Amino acid sequence: MSTIVIGLSLSFLLFLLAAGLTLIFGMLGVINFAHGALYMLGAYVCYQIVHWTGSFWIGLAFAPIVVAALGAAMEVTTLRPVYSRDHIYQLLLTFGFILVIEESVRLIWGLDYKQVPTPALFSQPIAMLGSQIPSYRLFIIGFGALVSALLFLLLDRSRLGMVIRAASSDSEMAQTLGINVSRVRTAVFALGSGLAALGGVVAAPLVPIELGMGFSVIIDCFVVVIIGGLGNIKGAILAALLLGMARAAGFTYAPEWVELITFVLLIVTLMTRPSGLFSRKGRSA
Amino acid sequence: MDRRTFLMSSAGVALMALNPVTSSGAADEPGEFHIAGILAFSGAYGIIGKDMRQGVELAIADRGGKVLGKPIRVSWEDDETKPQPAVQKATRLLAGGAQMMFGAVGSASTLALQGLADQRKIPLLATISADDKITRPNGSRYTFRTSNTLGMEIRMCVEFAKVKGLKKIYGVTADYQATRDGWDLFVAEAKKAGIEIVGNDYAPLGNRDYSVIVDKMAKSDADGIAVMVTGNDAVTFLKQSGQVGLNKTKVQFGPVLQDETLAAAVGPAAVGVYSGVRYHFSVDNPANKKFVEAYRAKYNEWPSSFAGEAYDGISWWLDVVEATGSWDREVWVDAFAKSTRGNSLEGMKVMRACDHQAAQVGLWGVVVEGQSPLPPLTMKITDVFDASKLFDAC
Repeated sequence: MSTIVIGLSLSFLLFLLAAGLTLIFGMLGVINFAHGALYMLGAYVCYQIVHWTGSFWIGLAFAPIVVAALGAAMEVTTLRPVYSRDHIYQLLLTFGFILVIEESVRLIWGLDYKQVPTPALFSQPIAMLGSQIPSYRLFIIGFGALVSALLFLLLDRSRLGMVIRAASSDSEMAQTLGINVSRVRTAVFALGSGLAALGGVVAAPLVPIELGMGFSVIIDCFVVVIIGGLGNIKGAILAALLLGMARAAGFTYAPEWVELITFVLLIVTLMTRPSGLFSRKGRSA
Repeated sequence: MDRRTFLMSSAGVALMALNPVTSSGAADEPGEFHIAGILAFSGAYGIIGKDMRQGVELAIADRGGKVLGKPIRVSWEDDETKPQPAVQKATRLLAGGAQMMFGAVGSASTLALQGLADQRKIPLLATISADDKITRPNGSRYTFRTSNTLGMEIRMCVEFAKVKGLKKIYGVTADYQATRDGWDLFVAEAKKAGIEIVGNDYAPLGNRDYSVIVDKMAKSDADGIAVMVTGNDAVTFLKQSGQVGLNKTKVQFGPVLQDETLAAAVGPAAVGVYSGVRYHFSVDNPANKKFVEAYRAKYNEWPSSFAGEAYDGISWWLDVVEATGSWDREVWVDAFAKSTRGNSLEGMKVMRACDHQAAQVGLWGVVVEGQSPLPPLTMKITDVFDASKLFDAC
């Protein structure tokens, strides 16, 4: 049973990591290679806030906002002029973001590891189902579920979500109807960047904060996004659950096969449902 | 130009181009002693490269920047912790007249440079890569290692388990060949010592979630946890094992599990973790005290194991070169293979002629809370294992 709890925590962590990537692709059609770098930046900004204030919670609240603001600036100054061009320009641009962000982080924080401690509220394990479960994992489950519900409500049930979807599916028509499409795109890119940073903040007490952390996570993000269906938020939630549970079971019974299981899932998805296991035709989010 | 003339001319040009690096090295006296420094300066290992460079630069400054009466010049290149850039950049520096290579950080890069060293007959000095294959009997004539081997560090783990009286051990091993070999060696040696292995999990390199493995360890009746991972993986494992309090119920140890840099990244959960230590600034001998003082004065920080090993290795090498009074690389290689370093930072080191590996004591320590001016989490040396227990006879 403890495998299920750990699997759920893995799943929601994966979802938090991948949500921003799938949101930006779904709404803007941009494959944001810099997602991992924004995740890393979120962790570093959180470290800095914790260093100044001693509070993880202030870091959780403000680091995503800082990175979202940076994302908005990046979108306005660089991406906006290339939306009408071939996708390759957007890919190259987001690749360039990686280099700029990594080099900036190196200059500001240096090469050595940084550390964000587990918040005191969740520092003790809880005896549950015959295991000692880290209470921080339970926080991840709860927080991940909350974020996924909020995202779903925002995109699927709110007026703002309807505007975003309208701008995404037919930007010219939306513009004609008085929607400021440029502003919507900026907001979506900022939200996606903020979600990447949120993933970095939540992961910070679990992993070392270092320059390469974004690179290592981007593959997992793409696996979730591809299995769930590019741009499909609900698909990303289900894909993260599938992958998290498969990994938890894999680590329990056959740790050496975990990576293989992950990539077999990916290949099977691409061969049988190239648009994602949970995609629906004509629908992005 | 006919075909025969063209082919002969081409061959001549090719031979002339290769000449500076394929000759025996008994060349005319050059204007400088040029070292090709191939280290990682970017990515996760960038900090290791930075520390090693600082160690080397201090060693060169200590001797007035000269050897054999000529100025020493080091050309630093970033291998990005990949073998291919390591070889490409080293090749370019050798073509520019470098007389030796220093590096790399990752064992894969060092092994790649080793091939180049043998091909070009250029000495290669490794001071941090630990793969056992780098120094092996009848291996590379031109490669030397002055630091620890993984095999030596694995044996230190077994010696520690014996000293600590551990009876049952659960392991976690990074899933790549060098650590798999290391785990096999550990199991064989532990069984000889009557220690039971109750489990082991191979985790992918770069694994970011150890929660399931930690749960299995916590539920086992092991009294010791052997952690055969290092770097980022070690930090991730210890942070996550600390979240369930594994450090309070079982002894966690590993061959290269902790130093001051990694302990700072783990935080309080690092306290009480045991690890092999390649070099430590607290080693009490005159050479080390002098080095630590100079290093702190120059860089305003405690020297890491990477800096200490780099300083020690290059100092030893340059002293041997100086003693030969020759610019012949073959003479350097022969002299270094038979050399002994009585005043190394870690005490006596003896270069083994059979495999070009420096035989030395093994330092073992535990993470403790440090008092200023020490780092907040620092290694305290608890055991010094004799070389005779750590190396097979040649």
